[in-house]
Parts: sequence; C-alpha cells; structure tokens
Amino acid sequence: MTPQTARPGDSLPPLTFGPITRAMLALYAGASGDHNPIHIDIDFARQAGQQDVFAHGMLSMAQLGRLVTGWAGQDRLLALSARFTAITPVGATLTLTGDVTERLEIDGNPVLHLTLAATLADGTRTLRGQATVCAA
Amino acid sequence: MGIFDRTTTGHVTAPLSVAVERGALRFFAETIGETDPVHFDSAAARAAGYPDLRAPPTYAVVLDTAAATEATRRGLPRLLDLIGADLRYLLHGTERYCYHGTIHAGDTLEITHEVTGFSDAKGGALEIAHLKMRITHPARGPLVIATRDLIHRLPKVRP
Repeated sequence: MTPQTARPGDSLPPLTFGPITRAMLALYAGASGDHNPIHIDIDFARQAGQQDVFAHGMLSMAQLGRLVTGWAGQDRLLALSARFTAITPVGATLTLTGDVTERLEIDGNPVLHLTLAATLADGTRTLRGQATVCAA
Repeated sequence: MGIFDRTTTGHVTAPLSVAVERGALRFFAETIGETDPVHFDSAAARAAGYPDLRAPPTYAVVLDTAAATEATRRGLPRLLDLIGADLRYLLHGTERYCYHGTIHAGDTLEITHEVTGFSDAKGGALEIAHLKMRITHPARGPLVIATRDLIHRLPKVRP
C-alpha cells in the first residue's frame, strides 16, 4: 500500500519506540533545547508533586513524524498534529499506529487524512495525532 | 484564578533570527531515532536534492527553544516567561504543524511568536495558553506555521 493506492480503513506499518530511558530524556533535552527540569530532574519533579520525571511529549510526536514520513516520504507531509492525552513514564515502550481515515481532493490534488496514535503497553493512549498527506 | 499573564493576549514577539546548524540538526535527528540519512548524512541529503541535511517534521521545537535562547541573549523575555508559565504545573496540550517549505542545515530563519489567547477547562482546574509560531525564510517565505496549547494544572492551594 502506498499513498497513491491507500483507501480509508488501510493502516500504516506500525513502529515501536523504546524503552524510553532517563539517558534518552537527557539527550532529548539537549538536542531539542527543551530543558524543562520536569523531564530530567527527579528532585524538581517530586517538588512539583510527580513521583518521577516523565518523557517530553515532543519525543513521542517525533515518532509520529517518523511513522508518517517513513511511509509517505516527508515531501508528501502537509500537516502533522498531536494532542498529548497522558504522561509517558520512564521505561515506556511506545507503539505508533496510523490509519487512513479519508481520501479527498483539495484544489484537484488527492490528499489523505490519517489518524495517528501512540500507545503504551498497558493500552494507555498517550498521543492522538492527525496527518495530512499528499496522495499524488 | 490562573497563573498565566492574560494581559499578553495578542502579543506578537519581535522577529528573532535563528541559524539551523548542521551538528545540532544531526544530534536531534539521531536522538529521535531517525533512520532516513537525509537527516544526518550530508552526502545522502545532497544526493536526494537538498542543499544539506533536511530537518525532520518536529524540528520546529528546536527552532522554538533556539529563539528563546536568542531572546535571552538580546535581553528580551522568553515566551514562557512573557506568558507567566510555571514549569511545575505546565503540560503540553497540543502541537500542530502546517508545512509550506523545507528546512535545511545552513538556513538562517526568522521566528515570531503570537499569544493567540487563553481559555479555561475542567471547571477551572486547567488553564490553557494558545500560541502560534511562524518560521520564515527571508527569501523562501513561510516554511512552517506551528500552533501550540500549553496547559497549567492549577494547584488547589498555590504554594
């Protein structure tokens, strides 16, 4: 299945990412420039009422990006969005999934709407995403 | 009562110039586990028709934080300080990107932020800041428009 042939109901090949380690969060803080201590400093996290640090939502959204560009190619990616619906704990392994929900034409160009998700092993949905992909 | 400074509604920050550095882009791509070499191998990027490494779809987050660092260097408030964000209670609600052009290592881009507004949710337990970021190249025009909701989980008793 390619973007040209995809129809509503089709699914993208899933990805897994993880387990997410504390070292990975430290590297993502450095690489992204997001130094919010809630993700890397357990003392700060506890003072803020959390039991532990938790992963940057944007690290998971980056995986949704990989899921879509790995299938469609980045040149076809028109829009990408995510809603962060639950915290991603240290040690989590994510499963990234995507489904084709709509095929339509915008200004005469075929376009796909995709519904995306990041899910923990216990079934918790941490991100709900959407992507718009050129299907030409 | 919320924590965000709602008087900043409608504020648009002065444009900040941010360079897309090859090493920083490669570090980001490797950290998120990118497997497409156009993001970390300059020769592969050029073979694919790009002038240098191509930024992955969520690279806007790097430009956002780089703009914050540049603001500090210039003695300007960071966006998070401007809106009064408290990192102890801050959560990322949503992030949306619309893509209008490609971003490469070597680009120098202009970043502006707009405070679109504020809202409340869950009976006042949450407050939400609505933000917009524009990433523009001086010659190629708008490349990415990003919108973001940041959430405060409001403590019952503020320490």
